[in-house]
Amino acid sequence: VRSRVNSEFVGELLMRCALMLAVGLTVVFLPRAFDDYFNYRLALVGIYFISIVGLNVVTGYNGQLTLGHGAFMAFGAYATTVLTTEYGVSVYWTIPVAGLVTGVFGLLFGFPALRLSGVYLALATFGLAVSVPLVAKRASGWTGGSAGKVLPLPQSPIGSLSTNQWLSYLTWAIGACLYVAAWIVLRGRFGRAFRAVRDAPIAAVAAGLSLARIKTLAFAISAAYAGVAGALLAIAIAFVNPDTFPVSLSILLLTGAVVGGLGSLEGMLFGAVFIQFVPKWSESINNHAPTVMYGLILLGVLLVAPGGAAQVVSRLIVRLKQTFRPLYSRTSRSSPATQRSET
Amino acid sequence: MRRFLFALGTAVASLVVALPGALASGHADPGVTSKLVSIGGTFPLSGPASSYAPIPAGMKAYFSYVNAGGGGKGRGVNGRQISFTYLDDGYNPAQTVALTRQLVESNHVFAIVGSLGTSQNEAIQQYLNQQKVPQLYVSTGATEWGANNKQYPWTVGWQPDYQSESAVYGRYIAANMAGAKVGVLYQNDAFGKDYIAGLEVGLGASHKSQIVATRSSEPTDTSVTNQLLDLRRAGVDTLMIAELPGQTITAYATMAKIGWKPTNIFTTNVSATSTFLPTAVRLAGAAAVDGTITTEYQKDPNDPKWANDAGMKLYRAIMAKYLPGADPSNGNYAYGMAKAYTVVQALRAAGKNLTRESLMNAALHMNDKSNPFLLPGMVTKTNGSKDAFPISQQILARWQNGGFTTFGSLFDTRPKGL
Repeated sequence: VRSRVNSEFVGELLMRCALMLAVGLTVVFLPRAFDDYFNYRLALVGIYFISIVGLNVVTGYNGQLTLGHGAFMAFGAYATTVLTTEYGVSVYWTIPVAGLVTGVFGLLFGFPALRLSGVYLALATFGLAVSVPLVAKRASGWTGGSAGKVLPLPQSPIGSLSTNQWLSYLTWAIGACLYVAAWIVLRGRFGRAFRAVRDAPIAAVAAGLSLARIKTLAFAISAAYAGVAGALLAIAIAFVNPDTFPVSLSILLLTGAVVGGLGSLEGMLFGAVFIQFVPKWSESINNHAPTVMYGLILLGVLLVAPGGAAQVVSRLIVRLKQTFRPLYSRTSRSSPATQRSET
Repeated sequence: MRRFLFALGTAVASLVVALPGALASGHADPGVTSKLVSIGGTFPLSGPASSYAPIPAGMKAYFSYVNAGGGGKGRGVNGRQISFTYLDDGYNPAQTVALTRQLVESNHVFAIVGSLGTSQNEAIQQYLNQQKVPQLYVSTGATEWGANNKQYPWTVGWQPDYQSESAVYGRYIAANMAGAKVGVLYQNDAFGKDYIAGLEVGLGASHKSQIVATRSSEPTDTSVTNQLLDLRRAGVDTLMIAELPGQTITAYATMAKIGWKPTNIFTTNVSATSTFLPTAVRLAGAAAVDGTITTEYQKDPNDPKWANDAGMKLYRAIMAKYLPGADPSNGNYAYGMAKAYTVVQALRAAGKNLTRESLMNAALHMNDKSNPFLLPGMVTKTNGSKDAFPISQQILARWQNGGFTTFGSLFDTRPKGL
């Protein structure tokens, strides 16, 4: 049994890696096919992907509704900004540091906040989303206030790549690693614990799990992902100010995660594309269209496919299977029979 | 496994869709052909500084006039039509960055022209200089644009710089208002802080202590009441306001409400114009606004003395033709047109073989006395990184009876030794 589990794990791990490789290949070739601005937006899609994979850990797998994910991104972005502009640290080194620092911040915030649940936790995290930009405005010594801080735009270390192409590769390479890491964590002991706490908290406690510990852990992991995403955002835009992280960012991130499919890591690919392109696209229709559009899309998703894009895709696959299975099974069953009759 | 195949399929499909879109890049600078030069900028068409929204419209109107053969040197500039794209950044530097990258990387503009706001231009300065894209004639008078030209050779300002303007007020106070207790209400960024720096220079070392209090606000603040109460409490009798038009109007209205009328008020020339002060008068009453001192450098469309001036006639004709329905008494259109005039002069001087480098070279070696929208006697002059302050003459003006009256004479405040 043990070896069966292991080979299953290796098989599935390979599959996930292959999925990311496919995405990676797309990312490698797409930048060459479109203009430079597209690469920049592709990098932003990668950043949102990382962010909502983290959001999915806490909201999708652990069942805690958070409206403050943008605040954690801000935290990571400011960590990178302060380290680079004040202490001269290379931007790349700030990425893991920002993830770590934001993870610890999430842990500390999680201790008191996770005594709350459901709508109360949502409100507490919403408070975080509202207050972090305001604090950043006041602490202008470090953050530059509303005027913001400019970071050096990284130059591509590979000569043939433009800055934007390099940014796109960088974010997607990190995104792929973090996706596989999230998958490994979620399929194992912790993932089971996360889901148990989400689906049956009382049973989870009876089974010996500590609710507070599990919830705080999920929260910290999610914050760390947001921190990395925030750091990458600061590096890609090369500018950070409090208005980069409005309250609406947190809501947009949650919308993206829901549209992509809570509880599905692959769905976050779709969610990230949604976050990057839908607001711009709907803005081109009407200035006030984005908010209306989120509302409509969110309603539509919740009514038609509460599992988001991931659910739609898996339904489609089931439908395809049903369509093709009769054909497939008839030929496979009938052939031995005909063979037998012939012989 | 099937899920994986699906993902792989999607990836391959998107590749197939994407590849034909491949773009070939040429060698000439982007955004310029023999028939067209494409420029762009960001402006606050919405948000806390949206009262400046007419500026890009005024610029575009003048470009349309030149494109149609106005100015008498054929259609366009050196055979090229000027295409001007302006986007709304809502006075949010984060948006300025995003939209400027869009203009440069997606719209492939030749140069960023006239983008508005001090923090906004600071946010894109490093990027544009790194990419060697001209950041031409920014719509902010922060002193840094001219002072830092060695470090940022692709950036150049346009209007008189804020520190020099404030130094004018400082010298005026030192000469005429001995013993004045000066207070400053300023926007918390380089724009506002320039006024404090300039004021200290103007007052001189011996009078610097006359500044008894300074209070700042954020551009998004909706009230400046606490700041004004603090300044009054500090015994201020001479107030300097270095705020955007919206905040400035709020400041006048608040002073009327709390019953405080400082003996003297000096207000930045980006807000104290005949376009904005009437609103302050309406909200605060004439008594609260009368006596406000500022400086001028462009012809005020509301000033009757320009009724028969050729430049202002041209301005009104262009407004009537290209912006019918817009109110020509709004001086922001005139500001936009005066700036567009300098842009056209620079493009013309950059020559037939237009490159980003030749444009910057032209902008930094200019000596033009012909701008019809600026005050008579004004010279638009630069000399490489030694002097990157195109306009630096101004004249004092006082608000009385619903309009500005200039006093004294036009003088040059070109910063020396910067």
